[in-house]
Parts: sequence; structure tokens; C-alpha cells
Amino acid sequence: MTVGKDVSGLFPDVLKNMQTDDLEQKKLVYLYLMNYAKTQPELVILAVNTFVKDADDPNPLVRALAIRTMGVLRAEKIIDYLCDPLQKCLRDENPYVRKTAALCVAKLYDLKPELVLENGFLEQLHEMITDSNAMVVSNTVSALLDIHIAASALPSDSTPDPALFTISASVLNRLLIALPNCSEWGRVTILNAIARYVTVDAKESEHICERVVPQLQHVNGSVVLAAVKVIMIHARGVQREELVKQLMRKMAPPLVTLLSTPPEVQWVALRNINLLLQKRPDILANEMRVFFCKYNDPLYVKVEKLDIMVRLAADHNVDVLLSELKEYASEVDVDFVRKSIKAIGQTAVKIDVAAERCVNVLLDLIATRVSYVVQEAVVVMKDIFRKYPSTYEGVIPTLCANLDELDEPEAKASLIWIIGEYADKIDNSADLLGIFVDSFIEESHSVQLQTLTAVVKLFLKKPDSAQEVVQKVLNTATKDCDSPDVRDRAYIYWRLLSTDPGAAKAVVLASRPPISIPRTTVASGLLEDLLSDISSLASVYHKPEETFVGRGRVGADSVSVRKGEEDAFSTQKALQTVAQGQQAENLLDFDAEPAGDGAPSGLAATELFVQQQPAAQKLVSGLSENPLDDLVSIFGSANMGFGTAAPMAAFAPAPTQVRSPPMGNSSSAFGMSPPPPSSQAQSQQQPQDDLLGLF
Amino acid sequence: MAIDGLIILDNTGRPIIQSGFRSTSAAYPMLHVDAFNNALPKSHRSGDIDPVIYVPPYNVADSPSACCHVECADMRILCPVSGDVDPLFAFAFLQTFIDILREYFGALSAATLKDNFDVVYQLLEETLDAGGHPLTTSPNALRDIVLPPSLLSKLLSVAGANLNSTINSGSGGGPFSSPIPWRKAGLRYNSNEIYFDMVEDLTAIVNKHGTTLSCSVWGKIETNAKLSGTPDCLLTFTNPHVITDCAFHPCIRLQRWKRDSSMSFVPPDGHFTLAEYRYTPTATATSARFISTGPPSAALAAKENIPIPFLLKPTVELTDSGGTFEFKLTSRMPSQTMEALVAEMYLGEGAGGVKCVASRGDGGGNLGRRAHDTMSTGGSATGSWTFDAKKMAVRWELPVVPPSSVWLLRGSFTSPSSGPRPAHALQVRFTVPSYTFSSLKIDQLKVTGETYKPYKGVRGKTSGNVEWRW
Repeated sequence: MTVGKDVSGLFPDVLKNMQTDDLEQKKLVYLYLMNYAKTQPELVILAVNTFVKDADDPNPLVRALAIRTMGVLRAEKIIDYLCDPLQKCLRDENPYVRKTAALCVAKLYDLKPELVLENGFLEQLHEMITDSNAMVVSNTVSALLDIHIAASALPSDSTPDPALFTISASVLNRLLIALPNCSEWGRVTILNAIARYVTVDAKESEHICERVVPQLQHVNGSVVLAAVKVIMIHARGVQREELVKQLMRKMAPPLVTLLSTPPEVQWVALRNINLLLQKRPDILANEMRVFFCKYNDPLYVKVEKLDIMVRLAADHNVDVLLSELKEYASEVDVDFVRKSIKAIGQTAVKIDVAAERCVNVLLDLIATRVSYVVQEAVVVMKDIFRKYPSTYEGVIPTLCANLDELDEPEAKASLIWIIGEYADKIDNSADLLGIFVDSFIEESHSVQLQTLTAVVKLFLKKPDSAQEVVQKVLNTATKDCDSPDVRDRAYIYWRLLSTDPGAAKAVVLASRPPISIPRTTVASGLLEDLLSDISSLASVYHKPEETFVGRGRVGADSVSVRKGEEDAFSTQKALQTVAQGQQAENLLDFDAEPAGDGAPSGLAATELFVQQQPAAQKLVSGLSENPLDDLVSIFGSANMGFGTAAPMAAFAPAPTQVRSPPMGNSSSAFGMSPPPPSSQAQSQQQPQDDLLGLF
Repeated sequence: MAIDGLIILDNTGRPIIQSGFRSTSAAYPMLHVDAFNNALPKSHRSGDIDPVIYVPPYNVADSPSACCHVECADMRILCPVSGDVDPLFAFAFLQTFIDILREYFGALSAATLKDNFDVVYQLLEETLDAGGHPLTTSPNALRDIVLPPSLLSKLLSVAGANLNSTINSGSGGGPFSSPIPWRKAGLRYNSNEIYFDMVEDLTAIVNKHGTTLSCSVWGKIETNAKLSGTPDCLLTFTNPHVITDCAFHPCIRLQRWKRDSSMSFVPPDGHFTLAEYRYTPTATATSARFISTGPPSAALAAKENIPIPFLLKPTVELTDSGGTFEFKLTSRMPSQTMEALVAEMYLGEGAGGVKCVASRGDGGGNLGRRAHDTMSTGGSATGSWTFDAKKMAVRWELPVVPPSSVWLLRGSFTSPSSGPRPAHALQVRFTVPSYTFSSLKIDQLKVTGETYKPYKGVRGKTSGNVEWRW
């Protein structure tokens, strides 16, 4: 305010100007006080007299101003003088003064809760909910909500804490009456309060929804979203199915209207729409065109729109969607192009009848020979092969022709996977894989792992021609490779091949369940939570509130709160453990192995699980520090992706095992006692002998 | 459960004005300023920075927060948020605050704000509580408690005169005494007037074959009311069925709209947006054909009916070192003139050496000129072009486009060795005065509750933003 200069030295002089009839001057002096009271706490007391006098001024503006400023000063000495004027102002005849006083109570509670309790301000606030002026009601509600939040953060000695704001049926009625008469901000506050109300029966829920629906037509987007939130929460209690449908129908147009707003608002709206669609995919079924990206849209808007478009894809609009996605794939922005190509793959996996058209679009894109387009297209093709095994083999030569252009690990790994999978159908598969075996040491780990698996597949499918290359790759992987994952996988393959080629076949060439696009990007339990938080940061980040504005509430507290509600959280926990064990994925594969003949699904599942992950949507926009969130996304995709119970069952023993450090002790989980990993040299020796025996 | 405050940054990223923060940590606002300034250079296209930035806490004990921000003229306004608040709430407040500033100062810039520090601070005080709750944001009520800067008040303050009588006495019982929250009590005007501007905005995407992919028209009824007393207005339309998805100013009685699609309201004073709507053409023969295939396609077809008011024929040929382009634009408006038409195309990173010839083709009736009249240097006769080296975009401007006139732009550009990578779309913006796509017509405005007969005015205005791909 003072262009960086410290003007606290003028405090006494400014103070002298406080008693003035010029309202503008008074305001500016008060403003100065607010900013500098902290630096001159002992001088502030000089202002008290004027404050108290002003709180009695005939002009309501001056009264309100005095009360408001006193509440903000945060000086101990002032506070003791605040209570009497505040008491008076809460009963002021002017609504502007009353509502200012109501907010002041919340600030006082922040500084000295006991003063609020002693003076009975809380009771007074509760009375003010019945005020005739809607503005006063809404500000009172904000004050009570603020106090509630502050109180729930403090340890309380009396139970129940009187400061906690529980909304009773009569309060709810007053709120519903005040709602249409408030300013937009007041409406948001009241709607948030209504969202917290716990309904008794279906009739009450219906009543709330019907009263809130008109708010969807408000010009202000935050009112609309707050209303959507209330409806989503209370529609759960509505039993009449046709009413729920009707409510959902009414929600769609206002959401679409938000897309005519500036990009920042659009983004928030889109994130929320994305979440709503996961719960109610039908609400915008006919509106896909609204989400078409324009070249000028900022990237963050485009990405969100793309996601929603795929979500809305259905038989009747898939052609439009595909031509649009193809258009995006020729754009300038590399990130966006990649995302568009991914979206084509997701469409193919989602809609069976459109798969062929998607493949054709991808072939067109590969023909452009733009490096990153080709690479992304190869990655996407892999996913399509996993969904529709042995359907589009005609494409493989085209893919292999682009082998030299690939320089990204993911694209390479994908192509190698495809070659391995169809090794018996590609004439020169041994030569192609040979290229990667030659450069094995230079490749990144994901490529190494895929090469290893692909070569073993090749060997199992064409034993005679691939003997040499498999031996070479196993040798290199076990001797020269510095990644323990790669080494271990090589050992396991080696041992498998040497002891029982039949078993190896059953494991490595097992048929995998086709993948599918997860309908939700977050776990269903979490989705419900997030939907209750719609129109909040949580819904924008698609993560529970505790993870980013935790205020230290993460931990035992939040767990115990959730435990009763849903077992989703414990499942989440379990998966968290599973995901930790991901580094030990190869070992996990074999955990299920000896259990029986259902085993292949175990391996398949894990591989699927691991590969699905990059394709799964990134929920985290720049906030990925928190490991929990990534896990949540994994959970979502894994859970929805498999659909079948078998892979999940295969996962089940995992947590117990992985709780011990994964690399060290996991060997104990092997059904077939492998060599003790502690003696590396020995273990290296043994499988080698075995393989020699095999040959 | 509210926002934390506002920080206004100038174009160098330095804070010029900030509201009082309740947070105990003095570093809190600075953390957000830093977080924003750090995020800004990371965005690869200006303006592409995420609208909600995550701000890690300064101390481990503190909780992290988020920073919402919008651009406003040459400034950025940041809005730190620490609780689980609706970011839309923050953005809505930012927008409201910017509107208020515009209302007070006209065109905004860092300089205007610096000149009017006192007023801006007063506005901040009145609109945002220290706890982060928005207070008074209705311009009507605000003008009562914060005097807008005017030459007169400046003169008087220099002369030492005291103006506060205007605030303190306040005709008709002072501020906030009105029973209607959005309207001041005791208003008096010598001439009672009310004006309606129907402002419609077309956004459309057209593919390379000239087929409209998506097209929507969003409309607003901007109102300027200067009416005395407490008038009760009833606005009826001859064709209210053309508009859907309405969002209303709180003054409109929703029940009445539901019943007979007429807007009944007691207007706020001065400028306000009465309603926003979406124009959806009624199902005609074309869409009726689609109904047999199911309702979804019928709905889509209906939306395609809005005709794009011009036809563009882009021909772009790319070579290894650049490309040539030819755009031919034909107005399809039957009788209205399009104005301020601007077509823009991004030519790709490192593009340069742009040479163009703008010309006017045949057609357009008596105003038509010969096509080879290309020697004249720009100007409205042929349109003009510029190359924006910062945005790497060629810009083609046609100030006036008469009905069914034809315009041409031929040009070439060079690209760096990596080959040209231009945008595959042109962005075309235009306005059409006195025209609406929806042709929503006001039937009549009845004012009851007051004795006078107000002067009424209605105006249409259309702007468009079309993406034309090639």
C-alpha cells in the first residue's frame, strides 16, 4: 500500500486524524490502523475511545466500519473493549450493521474463543438466523460456519462443543426461505450450509432439491456449482427415480452454459463436469460438440475437454469424435497431439464397433511420419492389441516398418511387446528382436524388460530359430544388467525354461483378459466423497481434501472417520501396499504362480496392471508429491479395468507379502524354493547349470 | 470457507495492491506472488499457465494452499485460497471485482489503479471482508458508500472543500435501507429511460469441407436502467421459444418466466445483465428428417442450423522451407454489413518472410471493385494485413465487409529448416451491429408501480469467433 515504505512511524500522527466527520478520511485512517496496529500494539489503545464512540455514531456506515475495523486489529488490548459495542451492534436496527457485527463474532472467536462463549454471542448468532433480512442471515451463516471450522480444529473440553454448527430442520427452513433473497455470495454460503444438512427422510431430500433447483439458473457460476453440489448430495436421499432423472436433466444445461465463460472458469467447470460424468455418464450424452477444442483454447482447457469427449463417446457420435481427434493430431502443440492420439486409443478400447475405424485413423497418422505422432500411435496400437487380440495383425508390418523412428522407451517397449506377442506370425521377428538384444545394455529398463519377455515368447513359439538369441539375452540380462528387476526376471525365466518348459509356456504365453477403459478415474468410494465436495478444490484436483489443504488432519483422525462409512478406504489401503510392491512386480507374478492352474491370470493381471498405469489418466496436475494420490488413480484404473474377480484374487495375498521389504525377503513367497538371493553368485550359477541341462 | 484476499500484480510481477490478509504469517501473500511468478515462465504459450496453482507451505507445519489468478489488462490479480473452497467462487469474485473496477475507472491499467489507490483500497475494504467473505458487490450499493473518482471531487479536495455531505446525509434513508437488495431506494431521474442491448456471441468450428462442426450462440441482455422510484417491469417477447438454458439476474421472478416466458422484475439501477441465454434454432425440416434416427442426432442437427455468416476458402500449400496461402472470404450476410473482421493464422515457430497481397474480389453490388486492384496499399478498400512476429501469426483485417462481398488474401511465408508447422485453422472474429442470430424480439415492456412512461430502447449486437480449419 505504501509502495514498500514503512510508515509505522507516523502512527501517532495518523491516529490524531481519526476523529473526523469526513467518512472517506476515516476509512483511510482505519485502513492504516488495520495494517500497522501490529507494529504499534501499545499505541493502539489510544484509538479505543474513538472506536467505541464511532460504534454509537448515528450513521450506520460509521458504526459498521468501527466494528469491522476493531475485529481485524488483532490487538489484545482492543479486544476487551470490543464486546460491549459488538453486543449493541448485533441488535442494531440497521441490517448492514447487524451483518457486519455477525462476521465480527467469527473473527473474535478466532482470537479469543472464550470471550465469544462468555458473552453469549453464539446464542445471539443462532437467533439471527431467523432475521428478516436475508443478507444478515447469510452473513450469520458464514460466521457460524467459520466458527465451526475453527472449533473443529481446536481440542474441545466440553462435549458437544457449543461452537459446532449443527443444522436443524428449523434452521434449514430459515435457510431455504432466505436463499432466493440473498446476494450471490450469500447464496453460495447458504447452499454450502444446506449441503451439510443430514436429511431425515426421502421427503425432506425431495423438498430440498426442489427448492434449490431454481438456483441453477443464476448468472454466477459459483452459485450454479454450489447448487449442483447440494442436488448431488441430497439426490442420494431421493427415492423417486423419475425425480432423480429430472434433477439430473436440469443440471446439464447450466453446466454447459459455464463453457461460454473465460478459460479459467471453464477449466474449473470442466473438472467438475468430468467428475459428474463419472457418476452420471448420461447427463450430457448429446452435448459432445460443445466440448470440441478450439485452436486458441489454453492447453489445460483442451486436455480436460478431450477427456470429457472420450467419456461421452458412444456409438452414435463416434465418427464425429474420431474425425475431430484426427484433426487434433495434426496440431502444433506436441503435448496435445499426444493426448489426442491416446484418446483415439481409448475410444477404440471403449467402443468395440469403432475399433476398426480407430485403427484406420491411427494408420493414417503413422503415415504422416512425424516422429512423436508415430511413437504415440505405436503405444496406442499396443493397447488396441491388448483389447482385441489377433484382430488387426495386418497392421503389424506397418508398425515394424517404423522401427527405426522410435526413440522413446514407451514406444519401443510397446512395439517389442507387439512383436513378442505375435512372434509366430511375423516372419522376421527374430531379426527384429535381435536388434534390440544387440543394444540391450543401452536401453532403458522398461525396454529391457519387454525385450526379455518378448524374446522368451519368441523362443517358446519358435524354439528352433530363437535358441541363440534367448541364451544371449538371458546371459546379458543376468550378467551385465544393473537393474535388479531385469536381472530377477531373467533369472526366473531362465529357471522356468530349464525346469519345465510347459510351465513356462503356461505362464508366459497365458491368455490375458482384454483391457477396458475404466469408467472412473477415481475409486468409487472416493468418487462419492468428491461428489460431496463438488465445487471445491477437492473436485478440481480430484483428490480428497485432506491431501492438499490438510491442516494436519491427515492420519489417524481421517482414517477413523472414514472407517465406519465405507470399506473403500481399507481397500484403498490394501492397494496402496500392492502398489508399493510394484517395484517387485516380477516377484509378485510368481507369487500366484505355484498356487494352481489359475495362475496365468496372476501374471497377466500384473502385467496388465503395470502397463495400464501410464495409459490411465493423470489426475494429478502438478501435485504428484503425495504418493496416496497416484495410488488412488491406480486403484481406480485397476479396479475398473479388470472387471473380473480372478485377477483381484490373485492380488489378494500380495499385501501380506510385500509388507516386508520387497526385494530382500520376497523369495520366501515362492512356491518353488529358489536359490537364496543373499548369495548372488551362487544363484547365478545354479540356473545356468539348469539351462545347460535343458539344452 | 472463504478466499483469503486479493493481490494485484503489475506486468513485472510486483504486487501493487493487496487486501488485508487474516493469515498470521506475513510471508503468506508473498509466497503466492512467488509461486505465480515462478509458474509464469514455465508455460510454453503465454496464458497457458494453470489457473489454479498449488502453493506449497512455507513451514512444514503450515498447510499448503492454492492460488487462483486471472489476467486483467496489464495486470494479474491473484486470489490465494487456503481452505477447501470452490475455485469458481474465487474466479467469480475476481470477475466481479474487475467489473467493479471497470465501473469505477473505465479502462483499467496498472497506472489507473496507482492513481486511485485510495478508492481501490476503499473498494477492497467494502467488497471483501478480512475473513475472505465477499461483502457488497452490487455497484448500486457500492456507489453509495465509496464515491467514484471524478474531476469534481478531485478539484474540491484540492480546494479543501468537504464532500462528505453526499455520503453522510444520503437521500432516502441512507445506504442499505432499501427493501430490495439490488436497488437503491429513493431514486429520482428527470428523464426515465431503459435500454436493452441484446448481445450475442457466436462461437463455431468449421472443418475443411466447410461443414459446421459445432456452433453455439450465447446471448446476453445487457440493460441500462435509469428509472425513478420502484418500477415493476414486465418484459415480453414475441418469440421467447428461440432461447434456452437461461440464467437470470436475481431480480427476475422465475415463477413468472416458467409460466409464460415473460420477464418480470424490479430492475437494479444503472448497467446490469438481465439474463443470459443460449440460442437454439427451432427444429425445422432439416432436423425433422433426423428425428427418425433418434433424438440425439435431432438435437445435434438442430444446433447446426445456425449459418456461419461468411464463407472462407483457405488454400494452403506447404513446402520444405515455407508455404503459400490463399484465403477467399465471401460474406453470406443477406443485408447486414460485418465489421472489424479479423482473421488470424499461426504460422509456426520461427516463421518469417511473410509477404501478402490483400485484394477485393467481385461482388458486393455497387461497392465492388476489380479484382486486380491490388496496387493500393492496404486500407479499407482491400483490407490490410500484418504479421505479428511475437505471436507468429499473420493477421488479415477487413474493417467493413458489405453483404455478399468477396475478399482475397494471397501470401507466402518462410519457415526454418525443420519445416513449416502452421496451425491448421484460422481464427476469424467479427461483429455485426444491429443484428442478432436469434432474432429474439421484445414484444413490449410494461412498467407498473410508477406513474411515468419511460423511454425505451432496444438494440442488437452480434460478435463472432469462428475457427475455420483447412
